[in-house]
Amino acid sequence: MNAPNEQLRWARKYPELGMDPIAVEPCVSPVFFEKEKERVFMKTWLKVGRIEEIAQPGDYKVKKIHFAKTSVILIHGKDGKVRGFHNTCSHRGNKVIVETGEETFGRNKAAVVTCRFHGWVYDAQGRLSMVPEQERFASDWKREDHGLTPVHTDVWEGFIFINLARGEVQPLGEYLGGIGRHLGGYPYAAMDECFSYHTTLDCNWKIALDAFSEAYHVSTIHAGSFPNVFSTGLADVQLFGDHRTTGVCLTLDAEPTPIARMANEITGASLVAKRGTSMLPSTVNPGRREDFSFELSVVFPNILIHVSEGIWFTHQFWPISHDKTLWEGKYYVPRPKTNSQRWAVEFAQVLQRNAWLEDTATMEDTHAALESGAKSHMILQDEEILLRHGYNVLERYMAAEKE
Amino acid sequence: MNATLPKEFEMLEPLVAEWALPTQNQRQVRRKAATRGELQYFYDNMLPRMPAILRHVDTYPMGELPEDAARLFSLALSMAEVAPHIELYGGSPGVPYAFEESRFVAEHGEERL
Repeated sequence: MNAPNEQLRWARKYPELGMDPIAVEPCVSPVFFEKEKERVFMKTWLKVGRIEEIAQPGDYKVKKIHFAKTSVILIHGKDGKVRGFHNTCSHRGNKVIVETGEETFGRNKAAVVTCRFHGWVYDAQGRLSMVPEQERFASDWKREDHGLTPVHTDVWEGFIFINLARGEVQPLGEYLGGIGRHLGGYPYAAMDECFSYHTTLDCNWKIALDAFSEAYHVSTIHAGSFPNVFSTGLADVQLFGDHRTTGVCLTLDAEPTPIARMANEITGASLVAKRGTSMLPSTVNPGRREDFSFELSVVFPNILIHVSEGIWFTHQFWPISHDKTLWEGKYYVPRPKTNSQRWAVEFAQVLQRNAWLEDTATMEDTHAALESGAKSHMILQDEEILLRHGYNVLERYMAAEKE
Repeated sequence: MNATLPKEFEMLEPLVAEWALPTQNQRQVRRKAATRGELQYFYDNMLPRMPAILRHVDTYPMGELPEDAARLFSLALSMAEVAPHIELYGGSPGVPYAFEESRFVAEHGEERL
């Protein structure tokens, strides 16, 4: 048997994180949540879309951002640039685009948006380009002073991010830093067949994010959908400032079921299929381990990006209140070229949905149980290091001086 | 409508009324509502024919399946929905120990293939 500290490989790699219990107050306190919105979510870069969703000039997307009590228009300009604006008209504050749900899509050939209320027209740079009866406004009133309120918007590898901070912000590339280099170069855009889910969970956003950020749970929670498939130990954990990443590996001795084998032979679209040459950046699975399945990366604060061979997926957790979270799960594969490939994608995607149903099953119970106040702390083991790092980063943001 | 499936798959006709469903949402709802016996019966009848079904649908380009082959394809897609329940979940019509399925909103759920 190994000496006990031999088992604590991540604690030895990152001793600054320690192994202390973690306070649960950040998960259950409404007061903490108010501060967290201000110090974390109003200051960090948040992924709000993919470039493929608004691929053509004039395409736009409107996304509700509940914690900030706003919705943001992301519009693809004729100059090819994507810009973001609050969906609030400069006239009397109506929503410029009438929303039909969490996300609303539209397109306008002239790349302008028009407020339904009184017909004010804005171009893709946010400039107010036309006002009906303009001569009836005050004589010194200038149209050019009344564009839409901009939101910092930038694109990395096709992911559209916003930052709601007022004033200057750190550029997106710099914010992502090492994690951006680690995950850069993966062919995200080549796999744009998207299967997308969302739901509202009665739990704190961190409880939901944490449940997806370790592999310790796979032998219990995924005993149904992925029995003996994944190893609970992590591979090549790396911390990059506010962000973090790990490889998740297979056990290799799992025998595929008859239909799984049929699907895997067609596309290899399932996470549990073994494959040959790699599409992964050289930084991911650097040792090219045979048993590597997928990379699990957390981009602070609220998105998980997973890349694998021929499939990638994301989980994002949007806080609505201290005990309510909008979860979005998106599964991406290359566009199938044949009907049998489409069938195999269906099988793999449905199985993945089932695994996500298993994952989300614990979250509301965890939150409810923590609300009892019975426990003031949670205990993490070494392989739950991504959670530990997450709380560590959060603590740093919360302690930062208010600007 | 008389012959609803391509001739060589006529033995699967008894499954058409219940399982030839065009959207993922419909297939999921049907699977959840099925009895264990229905799931097993559907799986047992489909499994040996799957390779031939996939070969048959591949004789057409995507999006150009004639009506009978499209119906056959939707049976195969129902097999994708049902198989984990027989192969992994001990025949249970629901995903065991899972979140309430109807609360997951699938943006692709109403797409017809």
